[in-house]
Amino acid sequence: MKIAVLTKAIPSYESSIRVDSSGSWIDESVVNFVVNESDSYALEEALQIKEQLNDDSEVVVVIMGNENNTSKVLKDGLAKGADRGIFINNENIDTDPLSIAKLFSEHLKEESFDLIFSGLQSDDLGSGQTGVLIGELLGMSTATLGIETKMEDGKIKVKRELESGWFQWVTLPFPASISIQSGINEPRYPSLKGIMGAKRKDVKSVSASSSGDNKQKFIELFIPKTEKVTERIEGDVDSIVARMLDILKNTLKVI
Amino acid sequence: MKFHIIEQIALVAFLSSGISFFLYQLLLRLKIVLKGKLDFSISDLPKRLLRVFDEVILHKKVASGKRKSAGILHAFVMYGFIFFGLITINHFLTAFHLDIFNETVRKNYFYFFGAPWAILCTTGILGLAYRRFIIKPEALGKFSATSALVTVFITTLMITYLIDEIHHLNPFMNNTYAKINWWLHSGVIGGFLFLIPKSKHMHLVLSPFNIFLRPFEVPSHPPIPIDLEASEEELDELLLDLSKLSKDQALDIFTCVECGRCTDVCPANRGGGILNPKYHFILDLKDPMLESNDVNVVDKINVEAGWECTTCQACTEVCPVGNHVEKADAIRSFQVMVEGDVPQEYQKLLRNLQETGNTEGASSSELLQRMPEYTPDKELVLWLGCFAKHAMDPNFVKSVENFTKILDSAGVTYGVLSNEQCSGDPANKLGDKLTYQMLMDNNVEELNKVKKVTTMCPHCVVNLQKEYSKYHDIKYEVKHHTQVINDLLEEGKININPGSLEKVTYHDPCNLSRTLDEVDGPRNAIKAAAPEFFELDESGKETLCCGAGGALWWKKDTGEGRTHLLRAEQVIESKTDTVVTGCNFCYGMMNQGIGPLTPADQDKIEVKDVADIVAENIS
Repeated sequence: MKIAVLTKAIPSYESSIRVDSSGSWIDESVVNFVVNESDSYALEEALQIKEQLNDDSEVVVVIMGNENNTSKVLKDGLAKGADRGIFINNENIDTDPLSIAKLFSEHLKEESFDLIFSGLQSDDLGSGQTGVLIGELLGMSTATLGIETKMEDGKIKVKRELESGWFQWVTLPFPASISIQSGINEPRYPSLKGIMGAKRKDVKSVSASSSGDNKQKFIELFIPKTEKVTERIEGDVDSIVARMLDILKNTLKVI
Repeated sequence: MKFHIIEQIALVAFLSSGISFFLYQLLLRLKIVLKGKLDFSISDLPKRLLRVFDEVILHKKVASGKRKSAGILHAFVMYGFIFFGLITINHFLTAFHLDIFNETVRKNYFYFFGAPWAILCTTGILGLAYRRFIIKPEALGKFSATSALVTVFITTLMITYLIDEIHHLNPFMNNTYAKINWWLHSGVIGGFLFLIPKSKHMHLVLSPFNIFLRPFEVPSHPPIPIDLEASEEELDELLLDLSKLSKDQALDIFTCVECGRCTDVCPANRGGGILNPKYHFILDLKDPMLESNDVNVVDKINVEAGWECTTCQACTEVCPVGNHVEKADAIRSFQVMVEGDVPQEYQKLLRNLQETGNTEGASSSELLQRMPEYTPDKELVLWLGCFAKHAMDPNFVKSVENFTKILDSAGVTYGVLSNEQCSGDPANKLGDKLTYQMLMDNNVEELNKVKKVTTMCPHCVVNLQKEYSKYHDIKYEVKHHTQVINDLLEEGKININPGSLEKVTYHDPCNLSRTLDEVDGPRNAIKAAAPEFFELDESGKETLCCGAGGALWWKKDTGEGRTHLLRAEQVIESKTDTVVTGCNFCYGMMNQGIGPLTPADQDKIEVKDVADIVAENIS
């Protein structure tokens, strides 16, 4: 079984975020990049499947981005027990899920993975589509929101979390691309042997083809202003409504 | 009494088999002990000898606290054993008509030593048996057949001795009975040779040596330096080392007397946790060591119990036979570095430390920015520590300001280090020595540029000073702020007016009292400010942990254990008006516990740091 785990390096929650000089992206130099939370559950699930199968199965960590931001996250995946890594070097900032999925697919295709695990969504952009789009592009069966997996003869059963406390079991033939929900397992901590061994593991470094077709463009990025303004609107119904419409239209500019 | 040659041969055979068995069992254990890592230290010889005198001869630990009476009974038995040594030798020599006592000596020895001690020793052992089998203190555990046997043995020894001597002075029975009595006495002594090595009674041989060899530092965990460039063989050796006990720890396990005092004082156990140090840290490892004939038994320590430990060292402090009981460091290091199995909340904490150098994952600190920065013309580095720096209890910021107020009024100049990172205490206590080393290396580089450091966090003092010096040559000196305040008081640089007549007590932080041996400094300062000072039930080096030690501050509340509430409850029951402490974590725990636990009809107890009560009453 060849399992790919897609991981993403995202700014940590505790980082102090500020907008860079272009005004359309964050200043990455002051940000601490960490692994996307649900991706670490996806990796743990893959490692547990490998341990359970106890054969020559392989877990491969795949990461895209620039080297500065991603190397720590990739190393951590290898230290936890992934067998090798694929680093897709991409200096561009792609934000559109479809172009991201295309960039991944290009390099995942030749590997013919039986399983691709990804986190449910990235904690920075939160589109939640990459895994399922890659599945489609590579002709794999797909499932999202996995909260439990079971390997069965030639198939994988996935318990999906639906809304309002409903769950659904789906059975997928291989190859399959599944996105994993946080909390599905207890991710391990890299052991000393893992940390030391990670240095000797193989990392294939490839370049993303120029992503001219990014369908999304950030025009302006800003940090929401936090201010406390309280205005008590008094008067009869008509004047209250008129004042509220004025605020929504002219002050907040939301309608 | 005449002895036949056959009797003499039987005696020689019996005694030599007993002695051989005894020596074989002893050597078997010593061979295992010597496989342990690290060597025994015999540094500070006079101090070690004095300790043996205090703890063995004077029974200072055996007869301490609520176990004073049991300790005195034990002393009767132990001295009985010592004084009867000569009598026993003489006893066996009589079989060969080689008595070392002439009639007068024998008579006088009996009158002045033998008889009184035989009675005291019998009283002692029967008293102890009454305690064990009738009172049944929980700590002693289930019914112990060997203890019952020992009671019978010692009582028999004393009675047969008395009969033998009285008969010798005033013959009152025929020779056959006298001979039976003599053989009964001999049989019991021989029986001891078979009973001692395979039971807890081994302590009567090993404990003086164990007390002599005990490391002075509490705790005395070995450093685990990690070289990330090490070869695979070196790494394997390091990992193998993590599964091994030290020689001292191995000797501890064979010396254990199974009294259960460690479990009695354990805050995790008292709080309803599963941790039972007597078993989890000591006795559970005994059979695996004997079976494997080796010391690589760290993985036999109960993992869950290991995570419950607050590393408060109460178990080590109370042990009457000189054991360093706590093994949380060993099992946690094993779990983290060998197994990679770490509870999720601690993973988050360790990630924060790796990524941001502080426990909270914060990117800045309001307090750090507000404080004057250290420059070489200033006397002291004020080391804030994560707790204060990131306002883990927002009230504690005020205590830091009170401490700076004291320094200001004494004219002491100070400043903070802008690149101060966590001392690494939580990583060290959780067994992540790699993360610990990373933080330590950074901090040592900065601190070696300065001379004097003070901090309000005893955890930081322990690490900056004691733990770092296990790995690095440190060139600076660290003092806890209560020590600095006490020095300023003694030097007359600050004066305190006795404050109000409210009742004030002091909670000793474990790291300050047990590890740093600082009990008087904070008390002197508090007593100067608070005329109505009184002690809590468990104080000084016998203090009860607040529940935050061993990185348990960051443990998610599982809803069951009450370890974190025990001390706060004691403080409430003491009906004090104010509780003063000398550790930011204790301060936080007291605030968290006392608020919700205080009954509605009782006045709210104020929680203060030593710096608060001093600053409030400074003249």
